[in-house]
Amino acid sequence: MAGVYDFVPAVALLPFLAFVVSLFAGEYMPKRGAEAGIIATAGSLALSVWTLLTVAGITGPATSFNENLYTWVAGGEGAVTLNFGILVDPLSALMLVIVSLIAFLVHVFSLGYMNDEGETGLPRYYAGLGLFSASMLAFVFSNNLLMAFMFFELVGLCSYLLIGFWFREAAPPSAAKKAFLVTRFGDYFFLIGVVGVFATFGTGLFAPVEGAETLASFPELAEEALAGSAEEAGVNTFGYDPGTWFTILGLLVLGGVVGKSAQFPLHTWLPDAMEGPTPVSALIHAATMVAAGVYLVARMYGFYALSPTALAVIALIGGFTALFAATMGVVKQELKQVLAYSTISQYGYMMLALGAGGYTAAVFHLTTHAVFKALLFLGAGSVIIAMHHEENMWTMGGLRDRMPVTYYTFLSGSLALAGIVPFAGFWSKDEVLFEALIHGLGSEGAIGTLLLVGYAMGLVAVFFTAFYTFRMVFLTFHGEPRTDTARDPEPVRWNVKGPLTVLGIGAATVGFINMVPVAEVTGREIDYLHKWLAHGDISVTTTEHYGELLHTFAGVDPAELGPVAPGAVSLVLALAGVGAAWKLYNVPDPEEHTDKLGGAKTVLMHNYYLDEFQVWLATGVTVPLARAADKFDQGVVDGVVNGISSVSLFGGSRFRRIQSGVVTNYATLMTLSLVLLLVVFVVAGGVV
Amino acid sequence: MVVEIGGFAVADWVTLAPTLVLVAASLLVFLIDTVEPRPGSSSNAVLAAVTTVGSLLAFLVAGYLLVVGVGQERVTGPVSMFNGQLVVDGMSLFFVVIVGSVTALVALASYDYLAGEAYQAEYYALVLLAATGMSLMASANSLATAFVCLELSSLPSYALVAFYKDNRGSVEASLKYFLVGALSSSVLVYGISLVYAASGRLQFGAVAEQLGARPEFAGVLGVGVVMVLLGFAFKTASVPFHFWAPEAYEGAPAPVSAFLSSASKAAGFVLAFRLFLTAFPEVGGLAGGDPAVDWVVAVQVLAVVTMFVGNFAAATQEKVKRMLAYSSVGHAGYVLIGLAAISAPDSGFVLGASMMHLLVYGFMNTGAFLFVALAEQWGIGRTFQDFNGLSTQAPLACAAMTVFLFSLAGLPIGGGFISKLYLLAATAKAGTWLLGAALIVNSALSLYYYSRVVKAMWFEEPDGTVEIESYPTSLYAAVVIAAVATVVLLPAFGLLSPSAFNAASGLF
Repeated sequence: MAGVYDFVPAVALLPFLAFVVSLFAGEYMPKRGAEAGIIATAGSLALSVWTLLTVAGITGPATSFNENLYTWVAGGEGAVTLNFGILVDPLSALMLVIVSLIAFLVHVFSLGYMNDEGETGLPRYYAGLGLFSASMLAFVFSNNLLMAFMFFELVGLCSYLLIGFWFREAAPPSAAKKAFLVTRFGDYFFLIGVVGVFATFGTGLFAPVEGAETLASFPELAEEALAGSAEEAGVNTFGYDPGTWFTILGLLVLGGVVGKSAQFPLHTWLPDAMEGPTPVSALIHAATMVAAGVYLVARMYGFYALSPTALAVIALIGGFTALFAATMGVVKQELKQVLAYSTISQYGYMMLALGAGGYTAAVFHLTTHAVFKALLFLGAGSVIIAMHHEENMWTMGGLRDRMPVTYYTFLSGSLALAGIVPFAGFWSKDEVLFEALIHGLGSEGAIGTLLLVGYAMGLVAVFFTAFYTFRMVFLTFHGEPRTDTARDPEPVRWNVKGPLTVLGIGAATVGFINMVPVAEVTGREIDYLHKWLAHGDISVTTTEHYGELLHTFAGVDPAELGPVAPGAVSLVLALAGVGAAWKLYNVPDPEEHTDKLGGAKTVLMHNYYLDEFQVWLATGVTVPLARAADKFDQGVVDGVVNGISSVSLFGGSRFRRIQSGVVTNYATLMTLSLVLLLVVFVVAGGVV
Repeated sequence: MVVEIGGFAVADWVTLAPTLVLVAASLLVFLIDTVEPRPGSSSNAVLAAVTTVGSLLAFLVAGYLLVVGVGQERVTGPVSMFNGQLVVDGMSLFFVVIVGSVTALVALASYDYLAGEAYQAEYYALVLLAATGMSLMASANSLATAFVCLELSSLPSYALVAFYKDNRGSVEASLKYFLVGALSSSVLVYGISLVYAASGRLQFGAVAEQLGARPEFAGVLGVGVVMVLLGFAFKTASVPFHFWAPEAYEGAPAPVSAFLSSASKAAGFVLAFRLFLTAFPEVGGLAGGDPAVDWVVAVQVLAVVTMFVGNFAAATQEKVKRMLAYSSVGHAGYVLIGLAAISAPDSGFVLGASMMHLLVYGFMNTGAFLFVALAEQWGIGRTFQDFNGLSTQAPLACAAMTVFLFSLAGLPIGGGFISKLYLLAATAKAGTWLLGAALIVNSALSLYYYSRVVKAMWFEEPDGTVEIESYPTSLYAAVVIAAVATVVLLPAFGLLSPSAFNAASGLF
């Protein structure tokens, strides 16, 4: 009987089909290809929900699925076999729903943002969106690292195409190029990591494939190698201690994650990526591109959990990025810029959680963030439509009364982002910090300290997050309108308000799937997400298993501590941030208080001069190096090559001269060589 | 003796059907010509059709016998007849397939090439007789039949090279070919006599048995083995008996050059493979123990020297046909790897790689020479410069030529890529790194001179003096068929290579 798992490939194939249809037939469709995308993503969403329900055991008995579907390189004896396969477990089922939901809403919203605004080139736009969704969905259900890498790259390509959608202007192509190059820099390490994983384990499977012969996954093999000897597990560590080698591999793959998830120091592409159409930004930030990085770490968490060093690096990068990006968000003047830095900061939280052993917390924050960040971007898009594509917040003000739907949904998203109870972001961010704290306290040695450092940075960032979020809300919606456009904004239609409403309700409620502090206080078992991720048919991708790994191999353990007090601390900080923003900006005629920061503001406005630093790296270091390499190439390499070719041609002309054209010479040479061979092989060979 | 072919019990000589078809076709050509004995009065179309169909039939029958497993381990084992003078097995059928396909292409192309020439019937008859000799070489299983078959293929070849008997170059080339051939044959036949003296037998298997029992004749045997080896070097155009090749290929009509450099070479190789692996395995130390005469090392030396001489000389040529002639010498060096690396643990693979290279080579090299034939028909001159901008006037033919050249160089556009890859793998298996290095260096060098032709055809500006007036159909068809076969052999390589490996394993 055909179960839902037979249809899982269609989750990605439908948007791919939409890509093809929009590309070739979009011109002839009334909405220029949007129909195909909307129908396809709606189909994906339905299938994803069905999958989720099946994994939950509601619509079918088989609660997991992991099989290779297509072998595209059949390795022989001692060679690796490369497959396309599908892994459906609680994590990927959840993620499929999130991605297809956001993709669907973004498609609908695009009707308002692109079609109603009379943009041209729409088939190209919808084709890009379709391929983007398809790549991300396929990435999510990949069952091995190489397949994941391939779709990871496709996601990168699509973001390039969509960020540079308005390619006739100056900024978007440049931003697209930057996004492409910066993430490619990280992917370079990822690729080496993929090759390394295949060379080490001979497989890239995330989870074992059951069948006539069970195929082991690489995290399992790594675990065996650490527990016993590397030879027994059939693992080649190239002469390194297994622990060290696995850390190296983990960090190489992490390179791709840092690039895609816009973590320090490769975050610089994300703010520039705002040049793309706003619905694309929503898709990139909430569900596809940036989420891919964090999702990858979660997907192969069984591997990272073996290495305390890798975990500490992840946690520190995360904590630092969370704080660092939040400070920059404080001074930005454009709506989408603020949101961009908030994204970087929020993904920092997820990385912090993953590094600190809070797998559930990270997935939880990924989920809630997807909802409220998509909401905020779509809300920003709505404001931008209303403001005739003016993005500077200082030209807005007082939009609250003129666009109430946008205001209230945006407020819901902002409360979630700031982490105010009971909105979604509160529960998830609180749990991230809680997990970082208890694991920091509970772990022995350096890793415990490092996790606490990460926690501290994350905690401070809570204040900044709340502050910049509400600075944005107040500047945009409150006070008096500061320009004529703000006094008379353009109205938006249902196709904008619909997605906003759905997401606005979501941002307020999605946190209820995992209210850990409430569960703790009331003693009722309502931490559904914990339970969701803790169990499963594929035991090696459950949090139960990850907990054991963290305890045994990484020495990361939770301390005994209730969630209420730490939750209260972060809530107080968030409220303080909101309060500060209220005081400074919720006035009829706000002024730029950040000017008082003086030199610090300049530094923040320039993003700590990191862009300049990276440009300097390119022009000051790479270019001279490239010049030197070019000199070497022109002089030495080409010299050798030219030398060889002259020698060859000279030798050739000598060989040619043997062919004198005189038969008697030939006969002589033949006889002489016969004699020579006889002498060498018969006489000198000792036969006679 | 009775053997079974595809379910029917038939007499054993039926397995020689491909050769018999060639004989019949040549006799038919003679018959047709006797109707109108005056030179040039027989119908070129009929003669070409008989030759093409005859060789195509030989090709198909051999292919069929190969597919149903005649002479191979899985059905009957080698079919030996006439007291072991001839044998039909996978190896012989495989090479008849090569010879048949090349002959068919050449005959097809000759229809246009010979248009208006006198002595057409003689031409086709000689081609068919030479092909008969080559297909018999694949089956020869004794020193006596080997020599006779070899001469049967050589003598028509001399005459074919001199086909333009009023053309000084053609006649001179033929004479040189004949003189070098005479010397080589004498070396070969003297070597055979010494081997006979040492063993007292002519049949290959019997020679091997007797040699083990007579250690006192080692010196005589050693001289004999080396001389036989050089005798075959002549037929395969390997150094040092290669001197005839550039002269003969250049002077001969281009289809004849194609025929000699592809089919004749393949036939020389199959005989060398069979002789050395069934008569001299113990002598060369392949069965373990010290070699009496280390002919494996001798072949290794010849292979390396042949690769270098052929490719380096090709790199400095100005004429395309002569460049192809030298490249053909270089390819003989590659194929020699089959014998040179034979001590590898998986010797069936090594020899099979050589056989596959000859199969692919049969198409790509024949095609390249036929393109030259096309150019000669157009009268556009022989140097690289004369090919400048040819693609503007004959894009299809130039595309085919590009396929041939790149496949010869070993780029993944045709089967030549995989066969060269397998040869490289063979050298790695045998641990003969020097051979592998020579293969790589020479392939890289060959890319240089092959791409000179490609560059001239596609990138240079035509000088505007040459106008192509006619597009000869059959010549075009032959070139295109060869190109398609070359390209198809890239994906289909894996389908055919098992039969080569099985056939090769049958010799051990």
